[in-house]
Amino acid sequence: MPRPVGRVGPEGPVRSGLGTLETRRRRIGLAALVPTLLILLLILAYPIVDSLLLSLASVNVAASGFARHFAGLDNYLALAGDRVFRDALWSSAYFTALEVGLVVVLALLVALMLVHPLGRSPIFRIVLIVPWAIAPVANAVLWKWILNANYGVLNAVLVELGVIERNVVWLGTGSRALHALLLVDVWKSVPFIAILFFAGINKIPAMLYRAARLDGANAWQQFWYVTLPSLRPTIAVAVILQTLWALRIFDLIYVLTKGGPAGGTVLLNYLAYRTTFNDLDLGYGAAIANVVFALSFLLALIYVWLLRPGLQHGRA
Amino acid sequence: MATQAGATKIGRRDALRYGAGAAGSLAALWAGGMRPAWADDVALNVLCPLPPDPAPPGAAKFSEDALASWQKANGAKVSYDAVAWPQLHDKMATNFASGTHVWDVVYMSGWVPEFAKFTTPFVDKLPADLVKDLPPSSFSTVTWDGKKSGVVFTLSLLTLFYNTEHFEKAGIKEPPKTWDELKGMAKQLTGGGRYGWVLNYGDPAGIGGVASYWMCFLQQAGGKVYGADGMPAFNSDAGVAALQVMLDLMKDGTDPGSISYVGINDATNVLLAGNASMMMNWPFMWKPAQDPAGSKIVGKLGGALLPAGPAGTASIDGTDAWTITATSKNPDLAQKLIEFYLDPEVQKRQVLDTGWLPIRLSTLSDPDVQKAAPNAAIVLEQAKHPYDSFVTPDYTQVTTAIGTEIQKALQGGQSAKDAIQSASDQVTAIVKKRS
Amino acid sequence: MRSIVAVGLASFTFLAVAPLLWMLISSVMQQQALTSTPPDFSAGSFTLDNYVKVFSSAAALGRGFLNSFIVALSTTAAALAIGAPAAYALARLSVPGANPILMMILATQMFPGIVIAIPLFIAMSRLGLIDTQLALIIVYLSFNLPIVVWILRGFFLAIPAGLERAAAVDGATMVQVFSLIVLPISIAPLFATAVFAFIESWNEFFFALILTRQSAQTAPLVISQFAGQYQTVFGQMMAAATLAVAPVVALAVVFRNRIMRGFAEGMVKG
Repeated sequence: MPRPVGRVGPEGPVRSGLGTLETRRRRIGLAALVPTLLILLLILAYPIVDSLLLSLASVNVAASGFARHFAGLDNYLALAGDRVFRDALWSSAYFTALEVGLVVVLALLVALMLVHPLGRSPIFRIVLIVPWAIAPVANAVLWKWILNANYGVLNAVLVELGVIERNVVWLGTGSRALHALLLVDVWKSVPFIAILFFAGINKIPAMLYRAARLDGANAWQQFWYVTLPSLRPTIAVAVILQTLWALRIFDLIYVLTKGGPAGGTVLLNYLAYRTTFNDLDLGYGAAIANVVFALSFLLALIYVWLLRPGLQHGRA
Repeated sequence: MATQAGATKIGRRDALRYGAGAAGSLAALWAGGMRPAWADDVALNVLCPLPPDPAPPGAAKFSEDALASWQKANGAKVSYDAVAWPQLHDKMATNFASGTHVWDVVYMSGWVPEFAKFTTPFVDKLPADLVKDLPPSSFSTVTWDGKKSGVVFTLSLLTLFYNTEHFEKAGIKEPPKTWDELKGMAKQLTGGGRYGWVLNYGDPAGIGGVASYWMCFLQQAGGKVYGADGMPAFNSDAGVAALQVMLDLMKDGTDPGSISYVGINDATNVLLAGNASMMMNWPFMWKPAQDPAGSKIVGKLGGALLPAGPAGTASIDGTDAWTITATSKNPDLAQKLIEFYLDPEVQKRQVLDTGWLPIRLSTLSDPDVQKAAPNAAIVLEQAKHPYDSFVTPDYTQVTTAIGTEIQKALQGGQSAKDAIQSASDQVTAIVKKRS
Repeated sequence: MRSIVAVGLASFTFLAVAPLLWMLISSVMQQQALTSTPPDFSAGSFTLDNYVKVFSSAAALGRGFLNSFIVALSTTAAALAIGAPAAYALARLSVPGANPILMMILATQMFPGIVIAIPLFIAMSRLGLIDTQLALIIVYLSFNLPIVVWILRGFFLAIPAGLERAAAVDGATMVQVFSLIVLPISIAPLFATAVFAFIESWNEFFFALILTRQSAQTAPLVISQFAGQYQTVFGQMMAAATLAVAPVVALAVVFRNRIMRGFAEGMVKG
């Protein structure tokens, strides 16, 4: 039977030592947590661990079906010397860095505009949400059509405006295709991050801006000395989330370029897919996937570390 | 196999009740196992492409009455999983990896050697009169390790298609018969927003990828992909010359968008819109070209043999074939179904109603068929020359490697010689890994 | 400054909306008009034929939408029902090892899903769940649960402890505090998380492809069928895409304010 026990703060009971209340709280906490952990463990832990084991094996479908032969670290060693993998790693790093940079900057601009009196209208909020809500596959199909060399509306418009003389084959070289993919994914990713920033900016106390204005700060200085520092934790969140998402890009490549031309748009996730499903080299594909996993995990650790000082900040 | 009970229970929003319902269905499934829904009829499941890709009666709209009678006569119930073509390989790979039985009959295109372990070699059990009516070389791509595991059901070879109106206007009397003529005409026909040649070079791999197109030219130059020892044999004059033709065409006369066209439909659209004059395509192309809804060149399409290289003309096989899975519980009935698909009447309707040529030689020479599909005669003629697709278990991996090098050359990034050399090295590594 | 912002807003609106507008316009144009250079916008080029053709595979379309709806709704409901208590536990109930657990939960998000498709398929087929909505719900649940837990935990951390303290003093149990005090004031982030999970489940493609056959096909699979190997009627493709996208976009638009407000509370605290 519950008894009034005084202060129950978020960090635990004020009284030191484990009382019955404390144990009960922990038990309830664990009980609440168990279904989640169980589901994740049952559904995802098995395939992930299985994938790890698979990466330490070699599978040769034509010779012996899906049987696994233990191969130790062979797959990982092979990765180190594989030029295709290295290219994919480099392309992914380049793509991710650019995407995160572009998305964060553009999202910030959009958020600032929405905060401005001119941007208060609900129309802009609707406009913002729409690209985010489209299914990635539908998005890919749409952009494949827009970027079509002969009938794409992008070429048609640019030629009409006189910006270009002849149709450009947007997906014609590895480099151009990679940048086209970048643009499309940035287009789709900006809304969500902009919402984040918008929320973050709204939380900044107006008092800070007033104080800055009293000190004679102009718009740019207000932005630099008030907005940006207050947004630091939010920007950190945005950077890490967008990095994780950029590393997982797949649908666009699958529909638009299939990794071409000349392997220019083979990014890590797509390479893992192609190796597993097209080449049926399951062991090698699993190794690539685990490398992506390790990279993402590292980045997430950085995120958690970056955010801790922010936590204190927000509590005030 | 779908759980009817589970599906209705899931409609409830309440999480708790949903959970109980789900647990209940799971338990039922565990206890009951998987049963076909009909106790009397034998269920035959077929994995096939979605029309307009080659699909069997029932999935495509032809010979449906015949299928109904066949099912009644054989006490069978045929159900189709018709999937968009690009998704077929992934689905069957996943399924084979699991070892569960889902389909009895599976469509394959260039994957028979790859999945040889998961199919049953049944071709030797086919009736002799059927086998005699099929072109012998159609079995080369569905045979591996001496075992014939599939039967091709449509004669699908790449041939030349061209715009007769463009040719007339340019004063060209006949389609190109040699490489030089091809290059010359492509150049001549380019201009005014139109191009002489278009093809989809965007996907490196598979049948219909850029590597497979190169294999046409390779054979036209008298080359082969593999030697008798199974090792790559294309790092030769023939291999380089074949790529060089494509490069020369690319420089003068090819739609620059070709490098970005990932599917053949992208290239077909260009021809059908009248923006290009020539391309290689599968026999099926004839039908959509005559459809005014999508084509601007109705009645203006001409067909011809692929231009000849130093060793004559040659092509590749589309290898659309039926196979029987090793996990099938009714392989004999499945074989009967395939024989039904190859029935002369069904084959005739296949071409008349859907545009996919029959494989039966007798049906191909049927005057009705020849009238409805004017390109049938051309394809038959093309079939008298080499048309090997060089399908091996690692066909996808090999064509990815070769195709990527070819794409680099097409972009001007490397010479034909370097591309072929590099491709050969990579393929050697792949083949070595397999053995 | 005003003019810069105005120009910025105009360009932003145009860039965000133009592609979708084009999708809508193409979906009502004929193939011939679309393949002309430049596209032919004369009155005769417009037609509802594309939608007619898409609807004539109505059985598949209707079923696809229904399946998507059921799967997305169930996943969302389950994710909230299971994830909210878990999030509260991690935020308030001093669970031992909360931070490592949190990292582990997040870690499941980092694995490229593509590669676990095969083991998942094998597991599902052993359970006899291939081509069922249940299989998709289970898989999507595992994808969405981590994000739900994460967002809600952040929000719960930010709630002033005073409310819960007062209730405890009055003799409320933990469960009562959670359901009667905390939940009611968390409507905004709960809502936002629900919409997020719904959209993610609706839009997912690859696992739907691998785990379904005919009965449990979802909306994205239906659109993908319009990109065949030999023929692409662009208008039909765009019509199918429009239809598949419409419900989700409508949802996001109708609830845009709740979404924005909800994320304001949840994400910033992490």
